[in-house]
Amino acid sequence: MACINPVPKLYRSVIEDVIEGARHLFAEEGVEEQVLKDLKQLWETKVLQSKATEDFFRNSLHSPLFTLQLPHSLHQTLQSPTASLVIPAGRTLPKFTTAELGTSNSRANLTFSGYPIHVPAGVTLQTASGHLYKVNVPIMVTQTSGRASILQHPVQQVIQQLGQPSVPQLNPCCLQATTEKAQRMETVLQQPTILHSGTEDRKHLEKATSDTLVPPGNEHKIASEALLSQPESSQYIGLPGVVFPPQVSQTDSNVEPVVSVSASMIQNLHGGPLFKGPQGTRDQHVSDVQLHLLKNRKFECDSVKQPRNIEEPSSLPVSEKGSNSQMDLSIQVTDDDINEIIQIDGTGDTSSNDETGSTRDVDENEFLGIIDAGDLKVLEEEADSISNEDSTTNSSDNEDSQIDVVEEDPLNSGDDVSEQDMSDLFDTDNVIVCQYDKIHRSKNKWKFYLKDGIMCFGGRDYVFARAIGDAEW
Amino acid sequence: MDADSDVALDILITNVVCVFRTRCHLNLRKIALEGANVIYKRDVGKVLMKLRKPRITATIWSSGKIICTGATSEEEAKFGARRLARSLQKLGFQVIFTDFKVVNVLAVCNMPFEIRLPEFTKNNRPHASYEPELHPAVCYRIKSLRATLQIFSTGSITVTEMRPFLHRWSLGWPWDLC
Repeated sequence: MACINPVPKLYRSVIEDVIEGARHLFAEEGVEEQVLKDLKQLWETKVLQSKATEDFFRNSLHSPLFTLQLPHSLHQTLQSPTASLVIPAGRTLPKFTTAELGTSNSRANLTFSGYPIHVPAGVTLQTASGHLYKVNVPIMVTQTSGRASILQHPVQQVIQQLGQPSVPQLNPCCLQATTEKAQRMETVLQQPTILHSGTEDRKHLEKATSDTLVPPGNEHKIASEALLSQPESSQYIGLPGVVFPPQVSQTDSNVEPVVSVSASMIQNLHGGPLFKGPQGTRDQHVSDVQLHLLKNRKFECDSVKQPRNIEEPSSLPVSEKGSNSQMDLSIQVTDDDINEIIQIDGTGDTSSNDETGSTRDVDENEFLGIIDAGDLKVLEEEADSISNEDSTTNSSDNEDSQIDVVEEDPLNSGDDVSEQDMSDLFDTDNVIVCQYDKIHRSKNKWKFYLKDGIMCFGGRDYVFARAIGDAEW
Repeated sequence: MDADSDVALDILITNVVCVFRTRCHLNLRKIALEGANVIYKRDVGKVLMKLRKPRITATIWSSGKIICTGATSEEEAKFGARRLARSLQKLGFQVIFTDFKVVNVLAVCNMPFEIRLPEFTKNNRPHASYEPELHPAVCYRIKSLRATLQIFSTGSITVTEMRPFLHRWSLGWPWDLC
């Protein structure tokens, strides 16, 4: 269902090619290799930040995974997760019998292809990245328009994050093994929460997993701290795919009651500086997670789906828990199926040009296409030659018609004539840069036959080899 | 003969063509790049600029001569031409609005009766010319008015002339003739 987005791959390949090409040039100049690396890093960061492509670092998997752990006890401290169910998005979760709920240390792996997923009470969810969430009340995880969305459950829910594995695995299907090492984080959400199933592919996270191992010592520390701060915790589960609108009735003033969370919250969580680079270790404070979620909530961005680290830069002044644990929250929800809300089919074909009036005028101007340097010269020569001719004729005419000039009404600097009020009306950021095969017009009906272009629409980039469009002026 | 029943004839002006000069050289490329709603025809060396408000299309030459077509009345044509000059001025050219002249006005009219063209042509020898293999209408020229009427056998008439206010007068002509 999810079509593979070619744009990030293309951009990656472009970056790689350029860097490779420049490598020996840099060496010739005597510039360090490190500079080249930095350049590449900067480039990738900028591409990510521009949100021009989704899932810039997404690599492979497209199936969102949820590991459903059959619940164990209901107390807050988590024990080693037991049963885990792998739930690819798309299917409804079958009901769990109480018998299942009661068992512990039982492992069951179920795969679900899609949403909505109904999660009954007492179930522990583990995302592919290994984060564990314990659901104390039945919740429904749904996917809206390609994105994981959250149904608001009328009942107050308490979702506890059970922890996270220290070693997120690259293969999202096999994260259960990590559960035993999982960190336990607990979040207490006191108001209706919205559970976001994995929205994004966290490829980059996966890539970075090797770097983000949390040493076991930290885990314990974090766990203990989590326990300690339990009563006051207003943690959020910073799952990329799972967004818990933080609802902390208790202490933290930082936490605001979450009323509704858009599906894209999680992405917005990373709305700030994004992927820091595969090499970066993902250190994250527990409190950071909260703030992340907070931020997510506030952003309510729905157009950006990019794999992001949960970790927010240390700018987050979270100190609710007072924990300084360095914990890797390399949350990897390989929920690739859950794409953006905005679904534009294919690679921006016919519909793209017709999208809005705002693009129309842009298109009109765009058809001028790419002017070659040669053409430019010709143009200027033409202009020069014509102007030369005109100047001679004008000089002769001027004397004759000077009287005429005086008689005619001056243009009044536009007082009489109202200005083109539509000139800036369609000033827009939606741009297509391409070449044209044919641009055709009949009266006010335009037809565009474009090729080889990049369209920036709604902040995102789409690459196409051919594009056909219709427009009315 | 039917001049009495002439009263309810509708003459619709469908097109007014006018010209004016800006008295300054215009950089077509600059207009093409920066202007709004422009079509650059580099091969013939002109820029088309379309306006929405008065629906007009203007052909702009680099010499500063501009032909403005598509207006539905003379006032509108002038208004549109001024607007156009204004937008050129905004692009940075020292535009002076001079030599505004209505070149052509096209109007259509429908006679409530059919016309027998061959007879008509015979009766109006010098003025009417009819070449059915070339064009299905009789081309009737009124030299004094510098008007040309195209008369179709269905009774619809197309009038093109230089002085717009003479339309009605020229239209009265065929009434007499028929």
